[in-house]
This record gives sequence, structure tokens and C-alpha cells, in this order.
Amino acid sequence: MPCGVKMIGKIAWKNIWRNKVRSAVVIIAIAIGLWAGMFASAFVVGMMNQKIDSVINLELSHFQVHHPSFQDEMLPKFVIPNSEEIIQKMNNNEAIKNTSPRVVAMPMINSANYSGMLKVTGIDPENEKRVTDLHEFVLEGKYFEGIKRNPILLSKKTAEKYKIKIRSKVVLTLQDKQGEITAGAFRVVGIYDSKNGMYDEMNAFVLAPDLQKLLDINHDVHEIAVLLNEHDLAESVATQYQEEFPNLEIKSWMDLASGMRFMVEAMDVYTFFIVGIILVALLFSIINTMLMAVLERVREIGMLMAVGMSKLRVFKMIMLETLFLCLIGGPLGLLLAWICIQYFGRYGIDLGGASYSDYGFTNLVYTQLDMMSYISVTLMVLGMAILAAIYPAVKAINLIPVEAIRKI
Amino acid sequence: MKKNYVIEAENLSKIYAGVVPVKAVDEVNLQIQDNEFTAIVGPSGSGKSTLLNMIGGLDRPTSGTIKVNDILLNGMTDNQLINFRLHHIGFVFQSFNLIPVLTAKENAEFIMLLQKVPLQQREKRVMSLLKEVGLDDKLDSRPSQLSGGQQQRVAVARALASKPDFVLADEPTANLDSKSAFNLLDIMARLNQEEGITFIFSTHDQRVIDRARRVITLEDGKIVSDEIR
Ligand SMILES: Nc1ncnc2c1ncn2[C@@H]1O[C@H](COP(=O)(O)OP(=O)(O)O)[C@@H](O)[C@H]1O
Ligand SMILES: [Mg+2]
Repeated sequence: MPCGVKMIGKIAWKNIWRNKVRSAVVIIAIAIGLWAGMFASAFVVGMMNQKIDSVINLELSHFQVHHPSFQDEMLPKFVIPNSEEIIQKMNNNEAIKNTSPRVVAMPMINSANYSGMLKVTGIDPENEKRVTDLHEFVLEGKYFEGIKRNPILLSKKTAEKYKIKIRSKVVLTLQDKQGEITAGAFRVVGIYDSKNGMYDEMNAFVLAPDLQKLLDINHDVHEIAVLLNEHDLAESVATQYQEEFPNLEIKSWMDLASGMRFMVEAMDVYTFFIVGIILVALLFSIINTMLMAVLERVREIGMLMAVGMSKLRVFKMIMLETLFLCLIGGPLGLLLAWICIQYFGRYGIDLGGASYSDYGFTNLVYTQLDMMSYISVTLMVLGMAILAAIYPAVKAINLIPVEAIRKI
Repeated sequence: MKKNYVIEAENLSKIYAGVVPVKAVDEVNLQIQDNEFTAIVGPSGSGKSTLLNMIGGLDRPTSGTIKVNDILLNGMTDNQLINFRLHHIGFVFQSFNLIPVLTAKENAEFIMLLQKVPLQQREKRVMSLLKEVGLDDKLDSRPSQLSGGQQQRVAVARALASKPDFVLADEPTANLDSKSAFNLLDIMARLNQEEGITFIFSTHDQRVIDRARRVITLEDGKIVSDEIR
């Protein structure tokens, strides 16, 4: 290393400690700003990823197959005509982990006390386990075990609303395929709580054959939920099947859940956005601080140029002073953020109240931030540091030595 | 044959524009030879600093020429002047001479680092210079730990470290008590005699003036007397 650079670095390093309080304030501001930005990002990313997780592992899987009219009207007659052929094909596809054919109805539900509407899905319990996490959420009773005739699995929310206990009887009243009103008595086999309030409020589960019999649709199904091995393939595999079966409606989870596509796309830029805003604010306060540091040292900098320190060297010296501040504060903030994100990524942040869960979010948020975000934030900090360093350094070299010296 | 001067100023003027323009230096002709020990004297505002700054390539004349060892300073760019000052001129200012975060030794070494003098030479030179100004026991002291006189002595050492053609000192003793002032003058005079260093310093302190071998007196920007003793 040329001795000039080493010396300038040494002087710059010592200069930043001349006003310890001021430098410490800048360093802490950078660290806290970064920490706050990254932690907020990790919170939102974690919350959204949990939502996506819940959408995929509970609500929708990766994509679903329906009769093209079913989503609009949900009439029993809109069954998938060739479901067995499709399932066979899908089971041979390497990309697909599992499929769950389902029967879906929107019956009236009557308990001893109340009545209301519910979405009731008829499933094959063993098969469903391989597609959704429903079985993991059963709190009371068993996941379709212990009751032979017409078992029904209800959410805790529904059970509380209708004042229903395990083994209680409920009556489902619905229209069958021909439009005739028909009813069936079901007995509560289990109560689940997925922590996703919106979902829980709406959904109950029965055995597929029980519902098929009530609806008079033989072995037909209304819905095939498909889980893939790889998350990112959802769109392309869905499109591929849509092309193969143009008479059906095959949509990925992003299109099935309203607002999901926007959320996923917004999430990609969220970190840049929030960290960017914080960095811009930091940029101005660092420039301000460093300008102060330069103006306080007009005579000294003038003396340096008078005795022969070149403008380039003065420029480097002031640049380095700013960079040093950023290069202490930046990694400190990154480290702080990393520690907090790791900690709360493991133990979660309890949001307390239930309001989030009503919108399909969980109350316990696990912070999460990917490596790419850390890398891009690091680059953004570097960029900010260089930007912040330039203006004060330009100010310094624009000093006219003879005028600066006059002040002596 | 034309005699070679270290400094040669011809018809040198500096006019500060303003509501009332100030002729700070007025048509000055001046030659300084090698090994001089010259005082520029005159009351405050007579143009001493302006003249020294122009000779030192810190300020540009309104008219007239300055040559240092036959090199014309007039046409140089800012960067050329900085480089010229680095290699040809040593400076001692009234105050704020030193870099506060560096030790006495590092301050004296600083110019040589800018000049890219190799480490071993630097070390040797800085030690002998600090010894000559009587500060070889203060190598690791920061400027704030030194007295005003000691700081000016470090500044002299720093000025000499670059092996300049001459040393310019604008009121180097103005902030010193008389004992320290005499001490600094003693050191400068000895360096002039023993090492042949050319010193040009400004002052309005009569006791300092008495030590000079040539005294140039300014009044309103003009040289009113120039006597060699
Ligand atoms: N930057 C400036 N602008 C206007 N006038 C100046 C400036 N610098 C010096 N002067 C004027 O020039 C004259 C000479 O000043 P100076 O060289 O500092 O004298 P000295 O060093 O002998 O006290 C003074 O009248 C002073 O007011
Ligand atoms: Mg003066």
C-alpha cells in the first residue's frame, strides 16, 4: 500500500474520534435505522410468508381444478367430469406431491341453538393428510376416528358459535344435484383450530362418500387440490394442466386467493422500500454531520492544502471519515438485525389480540429475511455511504487555502 | 551575468476589489538570495501576509511576476501550486500549524509522507530534525500536550522536513511569550547559519526584528526600506 493512503486512512480514522459523541450518534443512528428497517421487513416478510404458508398448506394447496362454473355458483351439478383420468395423470407427474379430490357444498347448519351457513368439504381423511395440515390442528376429539356414521370436523370458532360439543349432533340441510332439498344428521368427531380465524369460521369437513350420497352425485367430485414438491412451479404446472384440460378451470393459489399476487409481488420490493427510505433519511443527517465536521476544521484543512496536501488526498481523507462512520454503523445494524431476526424467527412475536387472525394472519409472527435481502441491504448501505461521503469531501476541497489560513 | 535568486518578484501588486479597492501590495520588487535570514516588517495591515502568501504560491498577484529558483509561479494551476509548495516551500504559520490527531513525530513526518519519502529516510530525518529543535523527548506528544513554543518548533521541523528551497514564516512568534519567541528565533538562526536554510519571516516585534540580517519594511503595500546589517 502506498504510504500516502495508509497515512490518510490513519488521520481519517483518528479524526472521527475527535468528536466522540457526534461520531457515536451517527454510528448509532445508522445502526438503529438499519436494524429498524430490516426488522420491520423481516416482520412483514415473516407474516406474509406465514400467510402464504397457511394458504398453501391449509386453504388452497398449489393449485386447484374445478368445473368452470363451480367457483361462481357452487351448485352440486358442477362436478369435474373426468376427475379419475386427471388424478391418474397427476399421480404420474414427478412434480406433483399429492392430490386431494373433494366434494364441496354450502349447506345450512343447524344445532340445537343456532343455524347458519357453512362451507362443508367432503374429504378422504388419509389422503387429505398428504395435502393439507388440517389433521395437525385438531384440538378436541379425533381426526375422523371414533364415530362411524356421518362424522363432521368443526372449527373451535364454529363450535363456540353454535354451542356444539364433541359428539353433539348437527343437521346439514342442502340441495342435491336435482335441486331437491335434503338433509343429513352429522355427529361432531373433532374440533380444530388452525389459528386462521377467517378460514376457521367458514370451514367444516365430512367424509366424501357421506356428502356424495346426500348430494346424489355418485363418486363425482367438485374440486381437486394439488400440492407440488416445489413451491415455485405452481404457476407453470397449473398453466400446463389448464392447456391440457381447456374445459376445466385450473388456477394457481396466487389467482385463487384475492390479493395474493399483489402481496407476493409487493413483498419482493418491501425491504428495498423501507430500508431505502431509512437510508435516505440517514443520508441527509450524515451529510449534515460531516459538513459540520468540515466547517469546524476549515483552518486545519486550509493548512493541509497550504503545506502541500493535494485536493485528491484531502478528498480521500474526508470521504474516508464518512465511510468509516458508515462502515462501523452499517455492520453493527446488520448484526443487530440479524440477531433479532434469528431470535424472533425462532420464538416468534406474539401480537396478542385476535384482530390479525380475523384477516387470515397468525397471531404469532416469526420474523424472516432471506440472504439476498441482507446482501442487497449491505450494497444499499455502501451506496448510501459513498453518496453521503461525496458532498462534504467536495466542500472540503473547494476551500481556498489562503482564505482558510487568513482566519488563523 | 544574471544573478540567480531564490525568490524574484517584479512589480508585484495585489488589489482587493471592493467598494473601496485595497492595494494590499503595491508594485513590489524584491529579490531574495540563498541563505538569507530576512524579516518583513511593518504595521498591521501593511501587506506582510499578502506578500508572503504570493511568494509562497498561496495567493495570486493581481499583476507582476514571482519566480522561485527561476520557476515562474504565475501561470500554475491550483494543483500545480499545491505540488510546488509541497516540494519547494516550507511553511510556518502563526498558529494551527499541526494536525491535532498526530504526534509531534508524525506531524514532522507528514510532509515527507506526502512526498513519498521512503520509511528509513523519513525516520532518520524526522529524528534529527526534532533533535535540532530540541524536542527529541516529545516525539509522542500530541500538539495539545505541547506548549505554544514547542508547537511552533514542531512546525519548523515539519517545514524543514521537505527540504524546501526556503521557509516562509508569517508572524511565527505572534502567539508566543518572549522567552519562547527568542528560543524559536535562536533555533531558526542556527539552522540558517549551520544548515544554510533560507528564512523569510514577517513580524512586528522589535526584538525579533533585531535578530534578522536583512530587514524589509512595508508601509501601505510598498517597500519603504530594505537594509542589510
Ligand atoms: N481577503 C481580503 N479581502 C480584502 N482585503 C484584504 C483581504 N486580505 C487582506 N486585506 C487587506 O489587505 C491589507 C493587507 O493585509 P495583510 O497582508 O494581512 O497585512 P499584514 O499581514 O501586514 O497585517 C489590509 O488592509 C487588509 O485589510
Ligand atoms: Mg499578517
